Amino acid sequence: MTRRLASPRGLSVLGIPAAALVIIPVVAVVWRTPWSTFWDSVSNDVSRTALALSLRTSLIATLLALVFGTPLAWMLAHSRFRGLAVVRSLLVLPMVLPPVVGGVALLYAFGRRGLVGGVLDDWFGVRLAFTETAAVMAQFFVAAPFFIVVMEAAFAQVDPRVVGSARTFGAGPWRTFLTVTIPLVRPSLVAGLVLTWARALGEFGATITFAGNTPGRTQTIPLAVYSALESGDDSALALSLLMVTVSVVVLVALRGRWVGALRRGGE
Amino acid sequence: MSLTMRCRFVRETFSIDVDVSVRSGCVLGIGGENGSGKTTTLDMIAGLLPCTSGSILIDDSVVDDSETGRFVQPEHRGVATVFQGGGLLPHLSVVGNLTFGRGRALRASPRFDEIVDAFDLRGLLRRRPNELSGGQRQRASLARAFLSPSRVLLLDEPTTFLDTDSRNAIRRLMKDWFVAYEGTVVLVSHDTSEIDELADVALRVDVTRGATTEANLVRD
Repeated sequence: MTRRLASPRGLSVLGIPAAALVIIPVVAVVWRTPWSTFWDSVSNDVSRTALALSLRTSLIATLLALVFGTPLAWMLAHSRFRGLAVVRSLLVLPMVLPPVVGGVALLYAFGRRGLVGGVLDDWFGVRLAFTETAAVMAQFFVAAPFFIVVMEAAFAQVDPRVVGSARTFGAGPWRTFLTVTIPLVRPSLVAGLVLTWARALGEFGATITFAGNTPGRTQTIPLAVYSALESGDDSALALSLLMVTVSVVVLVALRGRWVGALRRGGE
Repeated sequence: MSLTMRCRFVRETFSIDVDVSVRSGCVLGIGGENGSGKTTTLDMIAGLLPCTSGSILIDDSVVDDSETGRFVQPEHRGVATVFQGGGLLPHLSVVGNLTFGRGRALRASPRFDEIVDAFDLRGLLRRRPNELSGGQRQRASLARAFLSPSRVLLLDEPTTFLDTDSRNAIRRLMKDWFVAYEGTVVLVSHDTSEIDELADVALRVDVTRGATTEANLVRD
């Protein structure tokens, strides 16, 4: 007999398929990538254009999340009004919504015959759907909720008495927000931005639905991977490996911090 | 110069009535059990909470009045605070905390050196609050409060989490510095001995949840 507290017999064995299903595909991408043509695959015109477009749109979407998501998260953390729970649920809905449904929703909101898009087209001649702007909007729609959730938790965590004492020492509300509150939520802010950027970079469903898949205009890396795979092109694997690498770098940079940030809103 | 409160604070579960007037140079002690509304009273003076009805005057100028709707923001009230646990800004060094909201010129002033030495902070200026002991944190917090050109000094349980030696040291410091302070001191403590030792006048806030108890003391 082993001298230790008994665990449920065989329970951990059931975990092995779960681990295998997640790990094997990642290994397969690395294993099967054609190394001899790797550089050509990621540096040909289509890939380079997609890469540049992806970087540009995902960084803009992330910046928009920072500029507009931060005030929204602050408001959510400090407001008490009827229907707050409903507003909050609607704002995080894109996190659980199938992205393709998000794309349909965006199309019916900002498309040419959409709720807002119709007005934009009729009055200003502005058409958003199937443009690079649409790609940014799709990424923002899907990724910004991650930032908002992380930041709301972080703001709620800030000790109101620390902020209050700063006020009594002569700092006005704006100054206190910028020099006390923001530095206190900085770990969550960084984690939230990285997470949001990673999600925006990988966006597929909402983008292909609302922005389309036009090389050079709206074809981001995930869309390029999909197109390459459909046409039996080797670059699908090479570009996938690139995305895996980016994801690993993001995970290492965060060191599991975003999970903690979600739970307790910063350190 | 003085502090006058004639006000009531109401929340769903409790209410507090305060009717008190204290001259400058006086130390008002506020005692009472945990959750009796001591801190709420301080927050009303500091301007972190508006009173539900009534008014608060600092040096005969109205800082909060439910009838006229006047509410002066904390940064314009001339109050300095030493909150429970110090209330230091965790992301700033001791020197950053001492000069917060005050500009660089303060560091070069003789007053700055005087207070840094008096509160024995010379070797701690570059440290962050989480690198300080409880006693050091309270010394830094007191130093910051005395550096501030305030009319009212608010202290919330300044010695509560300290060991006996640090507590006695902080009490001695407060005793010395209260004498020279020209404004009104409001000292909140659940420790009766601290109020007895340091306060000129004492007020007990006794609020039974769900009921209102009058807390009265007027001395001028």
